Amino acid sequence: MSRSHHPLKAILTKTLAALVLPLAALSPAQAAEHTVDTAFGPVTIEGQPERVVTLYEGALDATLAVDANAVGAVITRGGTDVADYIKSEAGDIRIVGTPGETNIEAVVAARPDLILTSSRTSKEQFELLSRVAPVVVSDVPLFQPDSWIRETRLYASALGREGAGESVIDRVRNRIAEVADLVNETIPADQRDATLVRWMPQGPLVMAEGLFSASILQAVGFDVTDNGLVKEGRPHSEPLSLENLSSMDQTWVFLATLNEDGQKALDSARKSPAFARLEAVEAGRVASVSGQLWTSASGPLAVLAILDDIEVAVRDMNP
Amino acid sequence: MTLPDKRTTITNIALFVVMLAAITASLAIGTLQLTPTEVALALAGQADPMTDLVVNQLRLDRTLAGLLTGAALAMAGCLMQTLARNRLATPGIIGIDNAATAFAVASVVGIGVSLAPSTMALTGAAVATALAFGLAGAKGTRGYRFIVAGIGIGAIAGSATQVLLSRVAIDTANAAYPWTVGSLNARSDQSVLVLAVGLGIGYLALMGISRALNTLQFSDPVAIALGTRLRSTRVLGLGLSVLLTGLAVSVCGPVGLIALLAPELARTLCRPGKVPLTASALAGATFMVTADLLGRTLFSPLEVPVGIITAIIGSPYLLWILLRPSQRSPT
Amino acid sequence: MATSARKRVVVSRAFLPPLASAVFLLLLVAIGSLLYGAGPVSPAEALAVLAGGGTDEARFVLMELRLPRTIIGMVTGLALGLAGALLQSMTRNPLAEPGLLGVSAGSGFAVALAILLGATTATLTTLVAQLGALAGCALVIAATRVQGLGNDPVRLVLAGATLSGLLMALTSMLMLVDQRAADEIRFWITGSIAGKPLDMLGATLPSIILALVMIVMVARPLAAMALGEKAAVGLGHHPGRIRLLITLSVALLVGSATALAGPLIFVGLVVPFIARALAGPDIRRTLWLCAPIGPIILLAADIVSRLIAAPAEMPLGVVTALVGAPILLAIVRAGRMPSL
Repeated sequence: MSRSHHPLKAILTKTLAALVLPLAALSPAQAAEHTVDTAFGPVTIEGQPERVVTLYEGALDATLAVDANAVGAVITRGGTDVADYIKSEAGDIRIVGTPGETNIEAVVAARPDLILTSSRTSKEQFELLSRVAPVVVSDVPLFQPDSWIRETRLYASALGREGAGESVIDRVRNRIAEVADLVNETIPADQRDATLVRWMPQGPLVMAEGLFSASILQAVGFDVTDNGLVKEGRPHSEPLSLENLSSMDQTWVFLATLNEDGQKALDSARKSPAFARLEAVEAGRVASVSGQLWTSASGPLAVLAILDDIEVAVRDMNP
Repeated sequence: MTLPDKRTTITNIALFVVMLAAITASLAIGTLQLTPTEVALALAGQADPMTDLVVNQLRLDRTLAGLLTGAALAMAGCLMQTLARNRLATPGIIGIDNAATAFAVASVVGIGVSLAPSTMALTGAAVATALAFGLAGAKGTRGYRFIVAGIGIGAIAGSATQVLLSRVAIDTANAAYPWTVGSLNARSDQSVLVLAVGLGIGYLALMGISRALNTLQFSDPVAIALGTRLRSTRVLGLGLSVLLTGLAVSVCGPVGLIALLAPELARTLCRPGKVPLTASALAGATFMVTADLLGRTLFSPLEVPVGIITAIIGSPYLLWILLRPSQRSPT
Repeated sequence: MATSARKRVVVSRAFLPPLASAVFLLLLVAIGSLLYGAGPVSPAEALAVLAGGGTDEARFVLMELRLPRTIIGMVTGLALGLAGALLQSMTRNPLAEPGLLGVSAGSGFAVALAILLGATTATLTTLVAQLGALAGCALVIAATRVQGLGNDPVRLVLAGATLSGLLMALTSMLMLVDQRAADEIRFWITGSIAGKPLDMLGATLPSIILALVMIVMVARPLAAMALGEKAAVGLGHHPGRIRLLITLSVALLVGSATALAGPLIFVGLVVPFIARALAGPDIRRTLWLCAPIGPIILLAADIVSRLIAAPAEMPLGVVTALVGAPILLAIVRAGRMPSL
C-alpha cells in the first residue's frame, strides 16, 4: 500500500484539512449530508469530498475548476496522460485507466471518497464502482451547447461546492462575453463562418456542429457549420474524402491535431493540394489548435483555454 | 471412455498444480499491492470491504473468466487439430474466431440485431464453420479445402468487423477495440455464465467420445476397423469445437494462439497416440490466466489486451514449430 | 523439350487476344478511376475536363486528386500482381500470396515501427518497407526449404497466416506504446491509396524498375524450373541464383506496394489466378498478363472503395479482402488444387 506523496499535494491536502477541520468541529453532526440526483437515481454524499476520482475529462475539469482535490483521472483520448491544458492544475495525478476502460483496482488504490463519471457509464460499472465510493454518473445529455454548464453544476453540487461552481461559471461567461466583443469588433459579420476539422494522416475529419468546442465558437459569434456532412446520430465527427474537402471551405478553419507540434501538423496538411487550395488556407485564416483540448475535452477550464486559443487566432490572423 | 494412462495422469496432475500457481499469482498480483496475508484473509471472507472487492470480485471474477476461456479455446483447438489432422489448423487460424467476433461486434455496436453477444458469437462461429464445411465439399474437415476455405472466410469476417467499426461513433469503436484483439476486461458476467455451462457440457461430451477421437489419428480404414463411427464422431467433434470457440470468443474476443500453444504443449507432455483434451484444457487455462496477468500488470494502470500478449509470447515457439524440419507427420 | 515449350509460347497466337483485351480493359478502368469519386465532381464534369474544359474545381479534383491516385493504384497493382505470380511460381503453390504468407505483414510491421520512431520521409519509408518484405520473404523461403512444408500448399499458407497474425499483434503493441502514432498506423495498416503524395511514387520507382529488370532476366530460367530443378540445371540454369533474384524482386515489389498503399491482402492471389486462367501454366505469359490485370483489379477495388461509403471512403484493404476472399474460395472449390 505504499504511495508516493507529491510534496505539493501533501501541502495542498494539509491546507484543505486545516480549512475543513475547524468547520467540522463547529458542527459535530458531520457537516450536512447532501443528496445529488444522478443518472442512476439519488446519491448521498457526506460533506465536501477530499479525494475525488474522475473517470471523464469533463469531470476532472469541473473538479479542478472548483478547487477540489482530484486524486485520480483517466488519460485523454489519444494521449498517455491527462490533457496538456489541464496538466499543471492536475499535478501528479494517479492514472486509473482510459476513457473506455477503467482499471477499478487503480481506483481502489486511490482511496477515493467520491467518483465522478460521464453519462456513458454502464449500470454494471456503476454498481461495481459504488462499492468503492459514492458514484455520481452525469445525467446531462452530451453535445448540447449548455452541457458543460449543467455538468459543472452537477459535479460542483456533488463536491459540496455549489458556490464555487456558480462563480466559475460566471467567470467563464464573462470571458465568453469578452472574446465575443473582440470578435464583434474585429471581424465583419459576413466573415464569421468557420469550420472545425481534425487533420488525420489520411485526411480530414469534420467535427460536428454540436461538439463542445464548436458551441464555444458559436457562443463568441462564429457561425460554425459541418455542412450536413456529419450524419444524424453521429454526434462527434465524420471522416471525409479529400474530394469533399472544398465543401467545407469557410472563411475560418480551426484545424485540430493530436500532434504535439501544431505547426508541424499544419505543414503536413498543407502538403495536401486539396487542403492548400482552401480559401481559408490561402488567406492564412487557419488556426492550428490542440486536438486534445478542442475535440476531446470539456468543462469550464477547457472553455477558458479554448477562448484563449480563439483570442490568439483572431488577434494574430485578422489584418 | 478410456481410462487415462499413467503418463497422462501425471501430466494432468502436474499441469493442475501449475494452474493453481497461476491462479494464486493472478489473485495476489495487481495494480493494488496486497500482501499474501491480506489476499488469504479476503478469500476467507475476513478482509475489509475494499480488499474484499479487489480480491473476491475483481480478481476472482477475472481469473475465473480467464480459466474458462483458456480451457475452452484450448480444447476447441485440440479438437480441431485432431479432426483436420493438422497441428496448425486451430479455430483462430481457420477463421472461426474472426467470424464469431464479427457477429458479436455487430450485436455490440447495435446493427439492427439485439441478440446477446454469446448467441451472436455462437451464430458467427457456426456460420463460418458451416460455410467452410459446405465449401470444402464431400471431403469434410480432412482436406486442405476446409482449412483454406476457413482462411478465406476469416479474412472476410475480419474485414466485416472493420466495416462495422468504421460505421459507428468513434467512442463506440474505441470501446470495442480491445475486445476485437482479445481482452478479458470487457466481458459480461452473463457471457461468462453461459460459457461455464457450455464448457461443462462440452467437456463431458468430449470425454464420452475420447476413444473415438483417439482413433481419428489413424487412417480412415483403421479407424473404422477399430469400430469408430467416423461421420458422427466428426460432426459431434466439430459441433463441440464450434460451441466452445463461440462461447469463449463472446467473453474474451479472438485470443487465437491459446488454441495452438496449449494442445502443442499437452501433446509434448502426454503419451503419443492419445488426444490430450484434459491436459490441453489445463494448459490453456494456465496460459490464459498468466497472459492476462502480464497484460494487466506490464503497463499498469493501463492494460495491454491479452490477445496481444498471447500472440507475442507464443511467437518464438510458433516460429520454431514452423521452421524446424518435421520429423513426424503432423497430427 | 524446353526449347519446344519456348517455341510454342512465342508462336502461339491464342495469347494475344487476352493480352490485348486486358490492356483495353485497363484503359477503361483507368478512365473510370478518373470519372468516379466520393466527391461532388460528376462523371459528366470529369469528362468535360478530359475534353479540355470543365470547372476549376473539377479540374483540380481530376488532376490533383484522382490522377495521382490512379497512377499510384496502377503501380501498386502491377507490383502486387507480379510479386504474387513470382512467389507462386517459385514455391509451386497457387496460394502463395504476399498478403497470405506474411510478406506484406512483415513490411507493414517494419513501417509501423518506422512511423513510431518518427520516420516521415518517403525514401526511408520505402526502404524500411522493402527490408520488412525481404525479412518476410526470407521466412517464407526458409519455410519452403524445410522438408515437407514446401510440398504442402496448405501448411505453407497456415504458417503464413500465423506469421501474419503474429506481426499484426506486434503492430498493435506498437500502437499501444504510442497513442499519437497509433492514429497514423491504424490508418496505414488498413490500406489506402487516397491522398498519397506523388513523391512517394518517386521513391519507389527505381526499385520497381530494378525488380522489372530482374524479372526479365529470370523469366526464362523460371519457366525451365517449372519442368523440375534437374531439367533447369541441365539447361545451364542455377536454381539457387534464380531463387535469390526472385526473392529480391518480390521483396522490392511488395515493399514498394506496401510503402505506397499499406499492406493489401489478396491482390497477389487474385491477379495471377486470373492471369493463369487466361494464359495457361507458362510463367512468362502469366507475367505478361499480370502486368495489365494487377492495375485493373486494384483500380476497380479503389473505385468501389470511393463509391461505397460516400462522402467518406472505405479503406481499400477492406475492399480487396472482401473481393479476394471469394476468389480464394473459388480456387479451393475448383476441384483438385492446381499444382504449379
